[in-house]
Amino acid sequence: MKIQRTVEEAIVLLRKRLCDPDFIFSLFSDSPDSNYSKLKFIVSSSVTEACNNSILLLGPRGCGKNAVLDLVLEDLLKEYPDMISVIKLNGLLHCDDNCALKEIARQLCIEHELMFSKMASSDDNSQFMIAMLRECGLAHKTVVFVLDEFDLFAQGKQRLLYSLLDAMQSVSSQAVVIGISCRLDADQLLEKRVRSRFSHRKLLFLPPQKDDLQRLLKHILLLPTDSTLPHDYVTDFNSRISNIIADKKFNEIIDKLTDADCTVSNFVRFLFSAVCCIDSKSGYMTLENFKSALSTVQRQPKLDCLKDCSILELYIMVCIRRLEFKEQESYNFNSVMKEYKTIYDSVQNVDNYSRNVCLRAFEHLLDRQLIEFADRGHNQCIEFRSVKLLISPAELHQGLKSNRSCPAILQKLMNQEAKFVANG
Amino acid sequence: MSKEETPQVTRRTTRLSATHTPNAIQSPTKSINLPPLSLHNLVYGEQQEPLTFDDLISSLPGRKNQIFDLLRLLGPVNSPMSPMFVYGSASTGKTSTILRVFRYLNRPFVYSSCRTCYNARQLFDNILNQLLLHRKSENNGYSSAKKCEKPADFVNLLKEALVGVVDGLKRSSSSKKLNGCVNGSMVYLIFDSLELVRDWDKSGTILPLLFKLHDVLKVNDVGLIFISSSSLDTYHSETGFVDPISVYFPDYTEEGLRQIFMRNQANPKLRSAFLDVVLKPFCRVTRRLDELSTALSPLFKKYCEPLDDLNVIPDEETKRKLFSCLQPHIGPALNEILGVTSQSSVEAGIKNNLKRKGGLKKFGNDSIDDIDFHMSTSAKYLLVSAFLASRNPATLDASFFDSTGGSANQKKRRKTSEKSKDLKEASEQELFMKGPGTFPLERLLAIFQCIASSDEYSLENDEDPQETTGLGGDFGENNLMSDILLQVSSLCNANFITKGGSCPLEGSTRYRSTISEDLALKVARSLKFPLSKYLYRR
Repeated sequence: MKIQRTVEEAIVLLRKRLCDPDFIFSLFSDSPDSNYSKLKFIVSSSVTEACNNSILLLGPRGCGKNAVLDLVLEDLLKEYPDMISVIKLNGLLHCDDNCALKEIARQLCIEHELMFSKMASSDDNSQFMIAMLRECGLAHKTVVFVLDEFDLFAQGKQRLLYSLLDAMQSVSSQAVVIGISCRLDADQLLEKRVRSRFSHRKLLFLPPQKDDLQRLLKHILLLPTDSTLPHDYVTDFNSRISNIIADKKFNEIIDKLTDADCTVSNFVRFLFSAVCCIDSKSGYMTLENFKSALSTVQRQPKLDCLKDCSILELYIMVCIRRLEFKEQESYNFNSVMKEYKTIYDSVQNVDNYSRNVCLRAFEHLLDRQLIEFADRGHNQCIEFRSVKLLISPAELHQGLKSNRSCPAILQKLMNQEAKFVANG
Repeated sequence: MSKEETPQVTRRTTRLSATHTPNAIQSPTKSINLPPLSLHNLVYGEQQEPLTFDDLISSLPGRKNQIFDLLRLLGPVNSPMSPMFVYGSASTGKTSTILRVFRYLNRPFVYSSCRTCYNARQLFDNILNQLLLHRKSENNGYSSAKKCEKPADFVNLLKEALVGVVDGLKRSSSSKKLNGCVNGSMVYLIFDSLELVRDWDKSGTILPLLFKLHDVLKVNDVGLIFISSSSLDTYHSETGFVDPISVYFPDYTEEGLRQIFMRNQANPKLRSAFLDVVLKPFCRVTRRLDELSTALSPLFKKYCEPLDDLNVIPDEETKRKLFSCLQPHIGPALNEILGVTSQSSVEAGIKNNLKRKGGLKKFGNDSIDDIDFHMSTSAKYLLVSAFLASRNPATLDASFFDSTGGSANQKKRRKTSEKSKDLKEASEQELFMKGPGTFPLERLLAIFQCIASSDEYSLENDEDPQETTGLGGDFGENNLMSDILLQVSSLCNANFITKGGSCPLEGSTRYRSTISEDLALKVARSLKFPLSKYLYRR
């Protein structure tokens, strides 16, 4: 019983770490040429030198742009209390100008303990923002605007960006605008009048190298020795982890994972599934955990779908494939049925189902998104709308093989075609 | 009987009564004076016996692996989790499994389905109402707890509400007041039928927002669970998002289906003998539970019909006898899986079955001679003429409907040469691809007048139908023409005729008949109208 509680505690600890991006990225904060240090230098110099600045943080999703920024801001708030106020906007939420101005006014009010009026017009809010910027500048207080999903702010007229950056042109203001985007061409999206007011500082966030991932792995999975967990358990746990990391098979797993997607978030997701697989009885991580985690992270939904298809649905898929193979440029349910009939006529012991049943199976395939309507005809019956296959022949082939109940005749029909391709 | 028959509580009741009245049979106490909601209400099945692990596993046959997966990902009490995405095709028990698991864990959660909350605003309101323990009632004029229109407001309010609820849970768990009722201080938000969000307007921003909600909120004590019937790769998004961890619910296997259909049976031996016979052929067509249960329940009744005593334990011989009785019904029932849409109740279906016994081989053709809905005579004529207008080429109208009448039919028979065969194939192909053709309203009315008037005068047989049409047909005007345009529009509304796009040259709306040939023949037969005489056969 006591062991189980210990294991549970350890799992909770690991899960807490994995769900906390700040913890994960704190690993990369110590080296001098990391993005953390660069960003911190830029922001802190604009705080101390009382100047305006603007930066873009660019990089693919899940590389820790937000997390690093959070770490930096947290540190700076500790270092310079009462000199920084942070306003956070998100392009998904505030890409509409009025909404964004309202949110800025709201956060400024909270920050400076003022009353926020919900009824204030967009113009009022805009004037309030400019006035507050001036006031903050006079009080030598830096306002940091964080614009997450920066590319979404660049849609439309870009009024918000313009008014923000324009307000920063005056000497009295003191503000930093930090844009975060996963589009590497985010600065090209800006209008000319906005771009000219934007300092073109960019920080690129890249997926980590392999040795960084190794460090990350140890950073996350090794249990701390100075916790409430029993000492023996922790040393045992850690030595097992080190053994696994040294294992060649484990490295293969990691390679497979990073070949597809080597961002930190993907890696963390993989570790999270692995941690979830820990057997609460034994309480240690095994290589098996990582293997099953890999299979859950790298799923192939279309193949899963094919594996689930009933036999009639597979028949229809094969018919569609045959039609495609005959280079019929467009086909619909009726032509599929015709093909089905020819198969039925030419090959013995094929199940024969009525049209209605086939139509139902056809609808199931549409539901499963293995096929899709190719046209946008809204007032046509399903039978007449042309469809297209959403999987490749190779996938279909593999799916037929993996489906245990798939009749041999279907595989043969597919194989015939493959042979034909090979010969022709 | 039907209650026993359906092995699971039907989908609708599961979803509707899910959060508040989990077991429809046991809780009739949805009384008039509702007590104010408390934190208890965030737990599923608060008044009931706790569920043991074995109960959980046995109540959901065939879902053992998925339950283990879910439990592992949800983790121990008060452990944070990254967003989870549960997917699998329809009726694979996604929702019921998750709700059962939460009932077992006794953890607080907020369930909202994107089907009942049909737009973003409804969804936001629904979640906030549940979190703020707000109930719409007469006193507050059925209004929501918070007015929330924009996603930005929603995120702010949600954050506030979540922090409030989590604090409340923490306080009560420390004071041991709710001990044993509510487990832990994590709140889980469950979004069901997420695939529907793709069709909402502004889905381009709502979906990424939902997927990113965990990062945007930055509240550690919240878990997000998405339930969807289609996999993650079908969620296209311009801005992209970090994938949640996915859990896949595969379709039930034959074995799983058998276990489900064996539940709550009075006579398991008999049932299993029945399933031995039926399950296999049906599984070849579909393994969807909802369709199978509707198809199998009348069949089981049929199977039991020859038996006097339902509790008899069948031996080999009775099994064989029952099988031979049932066998002729399996095929038609299989074909009728689709017939679920015809809105006839199960009873009617059985009656039809009885009727069809004679003509089993010719099922779907001539054995059913009456249409199962009422329609006025003029509407029937309209339907038939719309069908004709859709099927026949417009150039042949004159030869079909002029004074010589049916003789045109013989005239067009020509010798079939190679070329015309090719042509025939091509045109057949075209019919396959294009479907029924479109026609302007004028043509529909002309054909209608022709066939309606020719039918009317066929008894007297003294006047040329074409001439009557030309004269304006005073008889027709009185009886049939009075509200034809109204009828057309009501046929359009009933989807027998669809309004197509307008013709680019003429600019008038074009129509198209959607009914099948079988239905048209049926309607024509009820009018005693010789439809086949007027049909252009290629």
